[in-house]
Amino acid sequence: MSGHVKNMYPQLSISQAARTLLSLLLVAAIDSMNAGIACRNQQCESHIQRSSKLTRLIHMESVDLLKIYKASQGDLSELFCQMPINIVPNPNISGLDPSERMLSIYSHCKAFLPHLKRVTEQQRDLQPPSSPLLNNLTTAQYRTSGLANQIKCIYQTLFPNLPIPLEPVDGPTSIHPSQNVFQQKVYGCVVLKNFKELLSQIRHELRTIKNQMCKSRTFAYTNALF
Amino acid sequence: PNPCTSDGIKCIMDQSSYRLLQILSLACLACRLTSSSFKNYGTIIPQSPTVEIGKEFTATCVVYEAAKATVDDIYWTSGGVIVPKEQYTKINDSAVNVTIPITRETGKWLLCKKNESPSSLNKSKTIHGIELTKGYPPEKPENLSCMAVQFDQQISSNVTCTWQPGKMDEKISTTFTLFGSNYSTKAQRSSGCIYFGNFPNYMELDIWVDVENNLGKVRSDVLFIIDPNEMVKTNPPLDVNIISEKNFSRTLLVSWKHPIHETVVKLKYNLRFCTVGSGDWTEVPPNDTESSKESFRLQYLKPDMEHVVQVRCMHHTGYGYWSDWSANSTARTPEDKPTSKPDLWRVVIPSQGKSERRVEVICKDPVESNGRIRGYNIKIQDGAWEVVPVNGSELNSRSQERKMIPLYQIPLSDKRRGSIELKAWNSVGESPRASLGIPKLAHEPPPVASLSCFNQDRRLWVEWQPPNVEATGVTEYVLEWVSVSDGAIDWQREPRHNRKAPIKGTLQRFKLYSISVYPMYSGWTGKPLTTACFLEQGAPLEGPSVKVRRTGKSNAEVEWMEIPLDKRRGFITNYTIFYITGGKEHSIVVSPDTYSYTVEGLASNSKQVVRIMASTVQGSTNGSDLSFNTLMYAPGQMEATVVSVCIGILFVIVLTVSLCMYKIDLIKKIWPPVPDPSNSTIANWSPDFPTKAVSPKESVLGDVSVVEVDVFDRKSLCEEDKAGLPLKKDKYLSEEHSSGIGGSSCMSTPRQSVSDSEEGGDSGQTTTSTVQYSSVVASNGYKGQSPCTLPQSPCTLLQTPQCGSSQSQTPSFARSESTQPLLDSEESQEGSGQSHQRNPYFSRSPVASESRDPGDRNQLEMEEQGLASLRFCPLEEGSQQTTPTDEGQSPDEQPGPVPSYMPQLRGHRQPC
Repeated sequence: MSGHVKNMYPQLSISQAARTLLSLLLVAAIDSMNAGIACRNQQCESHIQRSSKLTRLIHMESVDLLKIYKASQGDLSELFCQMPINIVPNPNISGLDPSERMLSIYSHCKAFLPHLKRVTEQQRDLQPPSSPLLNNLTTAQYRTSGLANQIKCIYQTLFPNLPIPLEPVDGPTSIHPSQNVFQQKVYGCVVLKNFKELLSQIRHELRTIKNQMCKSRTFAYTNALF
Repeated sequence: PNPCTSDGIKCIMDQSSYRLLQILSLACLACRLTSSSFKNYGTIIPQSPTVEIGKEFTATCVVYEAAKATVDDIYWTSGGVIVPKEQYTKINDSAVNVTIPITRETGKWLLCKKNESPSSLNKSKTIHGIELTKGYPPEKPENLSCMAVQFDQQISSNVTCTWQPGKMDEKISTTFTLFGSNYSTKAQRSSGCIYFGNFPNYMELDIWVDVENNLGKVRSDVLFIIDPNEMVKTNPPLDVNIISEKNFSRTLLVSWKHPIHETVVKLKYNLRFCTVGSGDWTEVPPNDTESSKESFRLQYLKPDMEHVVQVRCMHHTGYGYWSDWSANSTARTPEDKPTSKPDLWRVVIPSQGKSERRVEVICKDPVESNGRIRGYNIKIQDGAWEVVPVNGSELNSRSQERKMIPLYQIPLSDKRRGSIELKAWNSVGESPRASLGIPKLAHEPPPVASLSCFNQDRRLWVEWQPPNVEATGVTEYVLEWVSVSDGAIDWQREPRHNRKAPIKGTLQRFKLYSISVYPMYSGWTGKPLTTACFLEQGAPLEGPSVKVRRTGKSNAEVEWMEIPLDKRRGFITNYTIFYITGGKEHSIVVSPDTYSYTVEGLASNSKQVVRIMASTVQGSTNGSDLSFNTLMYAPGQMEATVVSVCIGILFVIVLTVSLCMYKIDLIKKIWPPVPDPSNSTIANWSPDFPTKAVSPKESVLGDVSVVEVDVFDRKSLCEEDKAGLPLKKDKYLSEEHSSGIGGSSCMSTPRQSVSDSEEGGDSGQTTTSTVQYSSVVASNGYKGQSPCTLPQSPCTLLQTPQCGSSQSQTPSFARSESTQPLLDSEESQEGSGQSHQRNPYFSRSPVASESRDPGDRNQLEMEEQGLASLRFCPLEEGSQQTTPTDEGQSPDEQPGPVPSYMPQLRGHRQPC
């Protein structure tokens, strides 16, 4: 048990171990995949554009994900999702210049990954295996990891002389050790809600960064030629 | 035993010990047998290797002590052939290397052997052997490509990749591994499917293939995919709908929905449309639908046509794969008024015996009818417009073929011109006006100069030359074709500059078409030129049926009917007559316009088989065989033979009879007549004899001594029929009897007047009238040898002519009463008065004598007999040949003229 109350499904208890193992393997594969992809030199605009599309996709899916989550939690008031939970990362992108804001995007993506993972694990105990929620949660992890990797590559491309901190700039993610089912549901809803807002902000930030950075770099590159 | 007691336990232990000992003994025995039978003398390193063709392979043979041999005794064989010593490398006293080149021909087995002592039966002993597996390392796969398909509203996590594998050695196990970033999976030889868990939308992806076997490993080029969406094949667009808007007869609005959310994959679309049944798709230019829109308006469509629309999509960048086309969506554009003229034409039917034509007005719907034609307005000459509603004139949008519509029939004088105007109308409006002029029959403009047709690309082409006049004014040409078999008519128009054109209508193969080209002079029809053509010729469906019109002895006339038009299937180029005679088949080729032929040279009175083969340029077809028998004789041959034979026989008969008649004297020689003394009547004449004077004429002809009867003397017969000869003889005789000797000539009337009373005369006697019964003795000697003085013979009462008085002397003669024709000489002398004329009818008929009573007859016979004995000395047969000269020269023997009835030949009548 990963610090949460298990919602027992007797009829499915036999394959519980197998499901757990499969989930672990899938998450491990997501981590390894995204970690293993090297950054390639690409055009700034296309690179950011592709990341924007991915952000848009994740955002769209996060909206659906939140709907599905709420629908699958039973009588969960919308108000509970508005409750502030300190352990859930703040979705606001911080920073003054583009590099800082990009680093903030990267850090937020990285920060939400363990929370998404935790919610997935909690919901795996709460939902039947065939629930689309589990699949969507897994997909959200997978795409967020990929987005973080792309942001990192863009950052490295745009700011090659700036190092990327190993830990998120907002500090290490703290997860509450134990929660009851209600707490799990509220926690999951808040995580997904913040995650959706984060993606919305990332879309906006990336659009801004694309306009700022790619044009300026093209201009700088052009000046360098002359 | 009970296992719970001590005895039992002991017992069990004993038994188990015994069995254990047994097993150990068997194991020891097996080991000994094995060690003694399969001694290990050495080994080869490496064991069972896979070797690459084209490279060298080195193996090491390690010899054990048990082999009792040194490396010097070792030699290698590869595929049964000893490897040369030069390829050996001695490592130490117990190991030796061998290096061999590996080729396709290299043997499978590589053996390490040692030479045995000469005393040994076996000259060599194998130390060890290995099996070589030859092959090639894998080749690099090429053309790696991957595709992910849509699954639900996402892209499937399974990515399917294909590639072209290089050459592979089937004997060597080869593995293919497909890699996608950090995922991998075993693949087939040329394809594989990799599972990503989640499809990596907008995330970089590397895909490659590793191929490995025992001889090596090779990796394909890495497929670096920046956006995996570019290898996506989505579902076709959803809910394709077409909206037809009234008053927009040439447009259709097409709408659809994205098959997948635009956020996942941004798509571009492609549309195509066609009219129902045509199958000729028209694609909307891709630039018009590049954006991710969900509707499009098709323009410049045909009104009142049902259109089919399909839509497909792919990634908006153009990379990846087009989706399948969506299902057909159909809609009909609204109607519009006809925008082209109806195709107006006519059929002129000449009237028999009248100076007028019947003109049938026909037409086709306008090409751009833009809706269902509901009727026509027609105007003949200067009349009013008439409405001709039509029901079946529905333009079939699925077929471009327009039906012919008969509209009107009008009589038109040959001396009048005709003009027709026509408009078509549908629910929206009227078409432009079409007009057609029919000139006077005698003033038809000239036809085209030449016309021909030919086949090309399975179409029938018509070629023509313009009319041979200057400034013809031809505005267009009308090609008209009529099916000869069923009379179906169709036509098409060609521009004035065209000299050839394919027939656009549906023609059937093997059918004869009459094709006419009409030059059109500003709407007026010219004189047509017509030819006959086939779209495609073939061999006739059936051969001509033959029958025999006439058979002969060696020939037969066969005739056949023309093959029916629907079975001819081409122009008959010739007929070939096959006939079998004498066991051999013969053939005769005749022209196509020949329908009968006389086959010669057939065997008579034999069975003949004949058949006719009809040929076209595309083949020939035989008709059925016909058997018949020739005649034994030619027609008329039998009749001619019979007639000839009959004529021959008749000729022979006539000739024989003629000969008999002409050569009667010869016959008489053969069968001399025997005089019947009883018929002699000379005795009756005896009292008158002395007083009877001899006329000078008779004396002139007195040299005739023998009177002959010539029944065939034509002069004597005059115009009398020979058949009436016996009767006439009788008549003459009866006349003679009544009028006496010296009657009239053959034409004298008395003969005719007396004839009837004597009809019942004895014909037998008449027949015998030809027989000379007696002779009149002439006194003039013979052949000029006139006796000077004939002594008075006691045997004759005839006066003997005096010698020297040749002209004036009166010959003395004796008249015999016999019925012998010898009397003719006397008669002729008296009647005709000509020396050379002889009348055969002067014979005395026996009827005359028979007319007498029997008493007189007997008396007469007695008198005759007495006279005969006194006055006649009939010549013997042999003496008849004796000439008078001879007789005269031998007066001693037979003095005086001897009465003779020898036939007097004309040639002998020479004057003294």
